[in-house]
Amino acid sequence: MIKKIPLSEAVGTRLAHDITEIRPGEFKGPAFTKGHLVCEADLCRLQRLGKNHLYVIELAEDEIHENEAAAILAEALAGEGVVWQNNPKEGRINLYAGRDGLLVVDVPALAAFNMVEEVMCATLHSYTLVKQGDLVAGTRAIPLIMKRAVIERAAAIARQHGAVLRVLPLRAARAGIVITGNEVFHGLIPDRFAPILEGKLARLGLESGGVSFAPDDPQLIAGAIRGHLQAGCSLILVTGGMSVDPDDVTRQGIREAGAQEIHYGAAVLPGAMFLCAYIGEVPVLGVPACALHHPVTVLDLVLPRVLAGERVGRRELAFMGHGGLCRHCPECHYPRCAFGK
Amino acid sequence: MFDELLAASAAAHGHLCPGQVVGVRLALLGLRLHGLAVPPTLAQLKDLIVYVEMDRCAGDAVAYVTGVRLGRRSLKFVDYGIMAATFVNLRTGRAYRILSTEESRDLAALYAPEETDKVRRQLIAYRRMPDSVLFRVQEVEVQLREVDLPGPTRAKAVCSACGQVVRDGREVRLNGRVLCRPCTGEAYFRRPREIAWPEMNWAPGPLPPLSLENLNPPRLTSASEDDHDQEDSLV
Ligand SMILES: [Zn+2]
Ligand SMILES: [Zn+2]
Repeated sequence: MIKKIPLSEAVGTRLAHDITEIRPGEFKGPAFTKGHLVCEADLCRLQRLGKNHLYVIELAEDEIHENEAAAILAEALAGEGVVWQNNPKEGRINLYAGRDGLLVVDVPALAAFNMVEEVMCATLHSYTLVKQGDLVAGTRAIPLIMKRAVIERAAAIARQHGAVLRVLPLRAARAGIVITGNEVFHGLIPDRFAPILEGKLARLGLESGGVSFAPDDPQLIAGAIRGHLQAGCSLILVTGGMSVDPDDVTRQGIREAGAQEIHYGAAVLPGAMFLCAYIGEVPVLGVPACALHHPVTVLDLVLPRVLAGERVGRRELAFMGHGGLCRHCPECHYPRCAFGK
Repeated sequence: MFDELLAASAAAHGHLCPGQVVGVRLALLGLRLHGLAVPPTLAQLKDLIVYVEMDRCAGDAVAYVTGVRLGRRSLKFVDYGIMAATFVNLRTGRAYRILSTEESRDLAALYAPEETDKVRRQLIAYRRMPDSVLFRVQEVEVQLREVDLPGPTRAKAVCSACGQVVRDGREVRLNGRVLCRPCTGEAYFRRPREIAWPEMNWAPGPLPPLSLENLNPPRLTSASEDDHDQEDSLV
């Protein structure tokens, strides 16, 4: 609790508020800050500032100071790949990415945590790609002192699935590309997909497993996919033939290659005709034609999540709808925008 | 284990509802905090008193899972309209008041985003939420009077106004007179008038053979001993 005491009894107590000093024309600022431990030498200066009484913090056995609380909260919030230092500034502790990767936030746990009145945590959106050292979240206890049990409950809530914040590394996959379509296969039009996809893969640090071409024939598409699997690819991108046109047989080709789980359609624009399938554990991503015309599409949302080990299915593709609309800004700032968040 | 308990509790209650999920979990937490078995052993049950603060779905689930009964004085209903129950262990003297959090209702949409029907969403979400989100727990002190405890009737008084016998110290002393609660004017009913009713002489008839044993199933024998003593003492 906070207690009012005469200055003569202040040594050894902690200030419950800032004390400002004003020397006209010379100085205006905090002479002492909240939480300062008052010592013998401070008494003269406090007296000069006209302080005969002080509000000080007296912790009961079941109470805790905001700085200690913040450390307990940060410890509970930070999961793998998230780092923080125990040097709270006015009760706040920042959490940073401890490595490059994908920030994943346990959104229900974060909401439940923030429903505890005495605490707060604000984060970047889940599924943001971050670099080592990026600020990903900040937390603090709101009152100067509070009950320890409340903080412990908030910490337990944060830990309900391990931790609220994780930065997952993107695995180093070898990615094979299959370009489908009769025109490209027979050389009637040049392919423009391969360089775009290879650029995206390289930016995520993936090794190229090569590009193969197939006409609009399910067997030959399946053959090209199998070829990449045999060459050790652990991720396959397929382009072309992804719409509902009867000549579009890519889906059938992916099925013939052994995909058991196929999810077609994503709640993302651009990228509605996206496909996500799995052959065993290997993701097969069907890239719609929009990737040719737009710098950022559904592929840029799904690829990092798949590489971070998430199994993307019907539910994940559907839940992307909220925030899944690209604004097509004249100058693209992705991922520093709301797209896919 | 949880699912069987929930199904049985819902059957006893009449339907499966979000209150059953919360109530069963609240009861399980109460038993766990006291280190009691699920369901409590007969010996443990003798030391357990549960105060329920609402007469809603969850209250039935708490009674079902713990085995406390109004008629055994191990279930106390206090009409606070609060989604909470207090578990008192008479052996250790410890008591925990468990409150269902209001925020769990707001959080249901986040814990079960795939479900849009409100009741189904709550049914799913209240299973997914950890105890830390669903409940707050207070350690409390409960002063049970001798006359509140299970066991034989401790005291009897006679109302000086109407002659009604009042058990367990529930009589009121007013200006040197002993009164039953209705005679003090604080009854939940008004204007009592005695009536006659049709077929006033109905009775179930004589005992069929062996029915005494049927009335007293073996599993309940030891637990209900006190009650029978109590009944005898009424004569
Ligand atoms: Zn119900
Ligand atoms: Zn009376």
